[in-house]
Amino acid sequence: MDALQLLNTHVKLLAFDFLTLKPIPHEPTSFSRKGRRLSRAETVGIVVSRDFKPNRFIKFDIDDGTGCIPCILWLNQESSPHFSRRCPSHVRLIAQMAAEFASQVQLGVIARVRGRITSYRGNLQITVSDVVIERDPNSQILHWLDCLRLARNCYDKVMVPP
Amino acid sequence: MATIASGALVNLEELVQSSPHFKHGISLRVIGKLQDYDVETAVAVIVDRNASLKVDTQHLNINLRIGSIFQFIGELLLEPDHEAILKARVGRNIDGMDLNLYRQSLQLLRDFQAGR
Repeated sequence: MDALQLLNTHVKLLAFDFLTLKPIPHEPTSFSRKGRRLSRAETVGIVVSRDFKPNRFIKFDIDDGTGCIPCILWLNQESSPHFSRRCPSHVRLIAQMAAEFASQVQLGVIARVRGRITSYRGNLQITVSDVVIERDPNSQILHWLDCLRLARNCYDKVMVPP
Repeated sequence: MATIASGALVNLEELVQSSPHFKHGISLRVIGKLQDYDVETAVAVIVDRNASLKVDTQHLNINLRIGSIFQFIGELLLEPDHEAILKARVGRNIDGMDLNLYRQSLQLLRDFQAGR
């Protein structure tokens, strides 16, 4: 397996880096960073905006000090046709978990967010799959250092064809 | 929802009139120890090393305890006498943050961004 394959990894990117990802033509679920294909991302920062629509979605922005990453967490699992063929008890669990995440996302908290990289009206965002509220104020600093280390030692590495 | 401005990371000591961050309306993120708080005006004063900054906390719903370390994000307003006040939109208690690690990491972060 290619050790540098990042396509299904939650890459830790600073906002200023995330916001420069480029869409890949004919691949709506992938984005390009320095020639590497990415589909998932992780960010840590302060929740600085919150737009909550019950049973539909919550949109919020994460400010990590280098930029703001828009995030959307869907809350419509029990009414969406996308989930209609899945086991109702599983869908209910997913919906409950999403509602719990939404209640935790409040202005001023430090949130660690993971999800799919998506684009809405030409703007990059994270379609959220999970949220962890960080209690340790050092978590933001450690995320910066993680992002720097991973960019230098992993994400910036040029792919060499086998 | 309109895109919200990110608060640029600045140390209070860097917030002098010649700084590119010393502009009316600019969005900043600052940290400092709460030195003073006026309940009537909701104006707090934070200090970090030899610098201080007034912070308007009227839009916040947090427990402001003198002596604790706080982080604020908001917009800098320059008053007619050139005194600066940060109109905070987000604030949090960050007691327990390693401030030396914060300063060193902030410098590494800036070097990294400058090299991009």
